[in-house]
Amino acid sequence: MSARRHLAGLAVVLAALVIVALFLKRSDVYLLTLWAVYLMATMGLNLTAGYAGQMSLGQAAFFGIGAYIAALLLKASWPFLAVLPVAAIVCFVVGIVVGFPALRVQHHYLAFATLGFNVLAYLAMRNEEAITGGTFGISGIPRPTLFGVDLGGHLAYWYWTLGSLVVLGGLLWWLLRSPWGRAFTALRDNPIRAESLGINITAYTLLAFAIGAACAGIAGVYYASLVEFIEPGPFHFSTSLMMLLAVIVGGSGRFYGPALGTAIVILLPEFLRGSSVPWLKFMQVWYLAFFGIAVIVLMIWLPGGLLSLRERLDRKGGPQ
Amino acid sequence: MKKDLIHITTVLAFAGASAIVGAQETIKLVNVLELSGPIATAGTNYRNGVELAVKEINAAGGVLGRKFETVTLDGQSNAGISKAMAQRAVDMGAFAVIGPTLSGAMVVSAAETRRAEIPNFTGAAAASITQQGNPYVIRTNFTQATSMPKVARYIKDDLKANSVDIIWINTDFGKGGRDEFLRAAQKFGLKIGADISSDQNQVDFSSAVLKAKQSNSDVLFVYTNEEESARLARELRKQGYAKPIVGEATIISQKAIELAGDAANGIRGHVALTVDAPTAVMKAFDEKFQREFKVRSDHNGIQGYSVPYIIKAVSEKIGKVDPKAFNAALRDMPLHVKDYPGILVSVKFDKNGDPDHESYIVEIRDGKQVVLQTLPPNNPF
Repeated sequence: MSARRHLAGLAVVLAALVIVALFLKRSDVYLLTLWAVYLMATMGLNLTAGYAGQMSLGQAAFFGIGAYIAALLLKASWPFLAVLPVAAIVCFVVGIVVGFPALRVQHHYLAFATLGFNVLAYLAMRNEEAITGGTFGISGIPRPTLFGVDLGGHLAYWYWTLGSLVVLGGLLWWLLRSPWGRAFTALRDNPIRAESLGINITAYTLLAFAIGAACAGIAGVYYASLVEFIEPGPFHFSTSLMMLLAVIVGGSGRFYGPALGTAIVILLPEFLRGSSVPWLKFMQVWYLAFFGIAVIVLMIWLPGGLLSLRERLDRKGGPQ
Repeated sequence: MKKDLIHITTVLAFAGASAIVGAQETIKLVNVLELSGPIATAGTNYRNGVELAVKEINAAGGVLGRKFETVTLDGQSNAGISKAMAQRAVDMGAFAVIGPTLSGAMVVSAAETRRAEIPNFTGAAAASITQQGNPYVIRTNFTQATSMPKVARYIKDDLKANSVDIIWINTDFGKGGRDEFLRAAQKFGLKIGADISSDQNQVDFSSAVLKAKQSNSDVLFVYTNEEESARLARELRKQGYAKPIVGEATIISQKAIELAGDAANGIRGHVALTVDAPTAVMKAFDEKFQREFKVRSDHNGIQGYSVPYIIKAVSEKIGKVDPKAFNAALRDMPLHVKDYPGILVSVKFDKNGDPDHESYIVEIRDGKQVVLQTLPPNNPF
């Protein structure tokens, strides 16, 4: 598909997101914003897991680190735009520190190492009461005012998050098309060949992991400000699993995979149980079971994620 | 790629599907309760109580000629989701929001109901909830600051203990209760032995029990959720723990008794509300609840049941169905069971929305709560 058609398609979706929000209720705009926030983190995870092929189960820890940094600094009256780079840089550095020993192991072993990191981070958030407020969390986190515009309202915050998401998405798009991005996919597909071509495997995997972590940190900042309250719960490793699920369901290693996957993981359950369509009424009770079964079926039938649907159909319909 | 984008837009359009809009005449109660996640037991019981009362009131003609309509939204024991659900409740035009029970989730969602000036009932026990100056919060449960001194006094005066070990659950609920208990224990001159924290969903309590045994204080105080309490009770019996075991609300609740079986026998504790309270209205409620749901209600079910009746009582007293007028009139208005049997216990809410009523010291015997003492309200009305 030509670049122009791609851009036109993207513009249509963005325009739809901008316009649709005007007609939605507060709670639906909130959920949409939650989708955009999680998407920032899952796009980062897609870089680590989908493009560089490193199975990470620690994304929620970075998400949490970003959120706690935001909560503490925003409450100390730091400007939002100063908090963002702090959260991103801290997560990037922590990503390198964690990744350096962890990335000596690969795939399943890396998954366990990052899972361990997530559990540790969660315990720190819960037990270091003096800093994090422990299980009582931190409440009263303000939403920002930027250039004289108050972003406290639900629509204003949604447009601000959507705009930020587009910028972050653009940066990742550029990164993936740069020599770095090509190196990431090269070392995923065939690390030995990549190394023989002069790619420093350790450096590049570490870089992919740390950039993914920084994205989660940025998402954490938006999350804290969106919910206006944080406690350790949302940063439990089950959230890391949820994020990985979003990447895989959408189509890992595909740029728009996380957008679709996150929509399915965050929005679809809410849609199912909030549904007023008569034949979907039973979903109000059964939505979790339905959701679980749908994911299992999807993974058996479409292991490449939803965005591999067309290839799957082509393969079936076309000559074998 | 175009197809991909179509996929994305379709799913997003789903999210835009609007919620149910009810008829004007009904009084809409929106439950934002935990039907899944770690405290689903509490949320589900609370919801059942609300539904039972609504069914009865509607069958008897409603409130000033208007019927109740309920919608239940699952807060999933998650603050971020509960906030969205509270917003949805506001969008639906709720007369009152009921829940969440999870303290952290309540703090977040109460900000939404406050903005919309809608009364918000909750069974959450963390003291901070009614101390944030939110004039729309109404708590149906004792705060830990109210109940813990009662427990500590009982341990000191009636069990004649001088020292106590604590096993508590490290969540906002457990931590808040433990902190209040420590404060109360200090006030009554109780020495704290082992201070043992445990985790949500913890399965193995052998080391916790071992620590308590080695500490050898006069009494063990347990403050964990219902399911963990049952596991803990079994482990205590398995290791032959012989000192008195005392709890507050959870370990002596119906759900914990059901799960713990014989291990629950002999455990004592304080409950603000119990179906074994020696009153005729509570007995009648107990029977109705069992007939409807095939299980006995715990304190959450009682709280849920009382909410529609409290709305009915106050609305009929002020002669109109109006959330703001209801919220203002409720505070400092004594409600007596003899006038309004559905409220189950005579109650008066203070300015902060905290209730005052009698409570009970119970002991589990043969899988049932037996009331040992009835404690009067702090400020009799």
